Amino acid sequence: MATIGRDMREMLSEQWEYRELLYQMTLRDLLVRYKQSVMGFGWAIFMPLVNTVVFSVIFTQVATLDELGIPYVVYAYTGLLFWNFFASSLRFAVNSLSSNAVLVTKVYFPREIFPFSAILVCLVDMFVGASILVGLMIYYRIPVGLPLLFVPVLLIVQVVFTAGIALIVAMANLFLRDVKYIFEMVLTVWMFATSVVYPVDRIAGALGKLLRLNPMSPIIDGYRAVILRGEMPALGPLALAAGLALVTLVVGWVVFHRAEYQFAENA
Amino acid sequence: MAQPAILFDGVSKKFNRAQRFNSIRDLVPAMASGLFGRRKAEDELHGKEFWALHDVSFEVRPGEALGIIGPNGAGKSTALKILTRILRPDQGVAAVHGRVGALVEIAAGFHPDLTGRENVFMQGAIMGMKRAEILTKFDAIVDFAGVGEFIDTPVKRFSSGMNARLGFAVAAHLDPEVLLIDEVLSVGDLSFQEKCYERMQAFVRSGIAVAFVSHNLSAISSLCSRVLVLRRGRVEILAPTHEAITAYARLAQEGRVAELGGHEVTLVATDSIGAVVTEIDAGSAVTVRITAHPPAAEFYQAELNVRHLESGALIYRGQSGPAGAAPLALHGSRGLEIDWSFKANFGRGHYGVSCAILDERQRWVAVSAPILLTVNERQSEQALVFLQGTCEMRPLQTPSHASA
Repeated sequence: MATIGRDMREMLSEQWEYRELLYQMTLRDLLVRYKQSVMGFGWAIFMPLVNTVVFSVIFTQVATLDELGIPYVVYAYTGLLFWNFFASSLRFAVNSLSSNAVLVTKVYFPREIFPFSAILVCLVDMFVGASILVGLMIYYRIPVGLPLLFVPVLLIVQVVFTAGIALIVAMANLFLRDVKYIFEMVLTVWMFATSVVYPVDRIAGALGKLLRLNPMSPIIDGYRAVILRGEMPALGPLALAAGLALVTLVVGWVVFHRAEYQFAENA
Repeated sequence: MAQPAILFDGVSKKFNRAQRFNSIRDLVPAMASGLFGRRKAEDELHGKEFWALHDVSFEVRPGEALGIIGPNGAGKSTALKILTRILRPDQGVAAVHGRVGALVEIAAGFHPDLTGRENVFMQGAIMGMKRAEILTKFDAIVDFAGVGEFIDTPVKRFSSGMNARLGFAVAAHLDPEVLLIDEVLSVGDLSFQEKCYERMQAFVRSGIAVAFVSHNLSAISSLCSRVLVLRRGRVEILAPTHEAITAYARLAQEGRVAELGGHEVTLVATDSIGAVVTEIDAGSAVTVRITAHPPAAEFYQAELNVRHLESGALIYRGQSGPAGAAPLALHGSRGLEIDWSFKANFGRGHYGVSCAILDERQRWVAVSAPILLTVNERQSEQALVFLQGTCEMRPLQTPSHASA
């Protein structure tokens, strides 16, 4: 236990020492994306928007969802915006070590920088995409209240959880290149196991109980509560999610840190 | 005595020829033992493992430059990677005290779509420079790289030389206490190489500790005071530069003998009184006696090669024939003896002298392993070639004086 404490101090002080590199790496990835694609940051809006249209057709025309209390379009867009932040961070992170093999094998700096900067890049995308949410809320005249101040707390819990998973999948993909394909599948299933485009708590029985363990549901539901409904999030499940997120990050980071010296031999 | 800035104490590192993890079945227990178990420090090899470094010890003090040389696969880069913390030794202790600057893959962080300016900040951050520090040194970096007006052009439009120059320019403006260099002089054109080289000398003179890996023996011998020769992961010799390079040259020669399949031709160098020598003074007379047992042929010619080992340059190649001995027909004789005499008008350094026997169709039929000849220089002439010319000096008559 004492060694884990020492490792964590070392990890954090290294991150602090190399904070400017994290900034530069994030800036690099943002600049590159902006320069390489015609739409640039447009993609940040486009992706959740297309999904919103698709699911709006399914859940308002084919199988109608009732008692949501808010227009389905806003419900789905909010879910997709924050889910997309989670999923694209991880899609980006899973490749981040293996696609930077030259840097990993030749230059020393804390390798956490790669998955972390992936998350920061997607966080910027998320803020860009949030502009559409603001537009939708104005269009549907959805009032906001004080619970909105809870958004940063939810974001922190989400980022902590994302970072934990990102470290694990980035590392796993370096050792085993098929991890990214497996993980892509996991993400698809995970989305439908989360309250992204429908309230997952309507699933009952054993499966429903299992799905309660998914920390992403209370986070996404929390965003909807504080942004769209003006309510406090369900604190019990959220606290559980926060605890799970923290454990994921600590375990993921310590494992990553201890395996780090093997990266250069396997990249 | 100052504290060593770089310490390598009994360092061993093993690599596996096979893929490390082939399946999730292997990965999960490895991760579990990495997290909960104690790190294994085994001193035995398993399966396809081999020692990339084995029991290597050395230290470098501030103000000292250590050269690391050795044949390919000797473990030079592995040693440097352990110092830069990219790799962790399986045994022993590797420690670096002070801020480390590494001139390894100096353009590794460059992204082709970003401009020179953006990449300078990126590469600087990778090398551990702060943004404010890069800002103050930015103009000097651009100036040093000599990329001028291209600084706002994406580096994918740069020539590979410009790319490397910009990378080195960033590295050259580091302010390290310990500098690790891995064969970076081979970038850019000749004038830029000289500039890099001067900068590295300035680094050494400024009193920092330097570890320099290179195949360029002349760069090594002018930058470093001591040299570590590695072979197959082990320390062959750790000695003052001259001594170590001599040993390394001998090592390289032995390698060549094995490659050429034995001693079909033997060489011995003798001085003017007939004594066998391996070391001579510059400008003195040498006779190389060549003994060969070539396969039967119409007639034979001998070819003599002299290679400067520090630079690898072939400085002399001559064939017997019009200039030397006439081609010799060998009818039923047991062998062939050739005396090749010349004056060693070479500069101080290490030379490999080798000989080949050619048949009537100019094919090599027998080749010698090179012998090592060390030339000591005790004259006013320096560098590689001795002209042994004459020099006269006189005052110049001024034109006004002449017209008066």
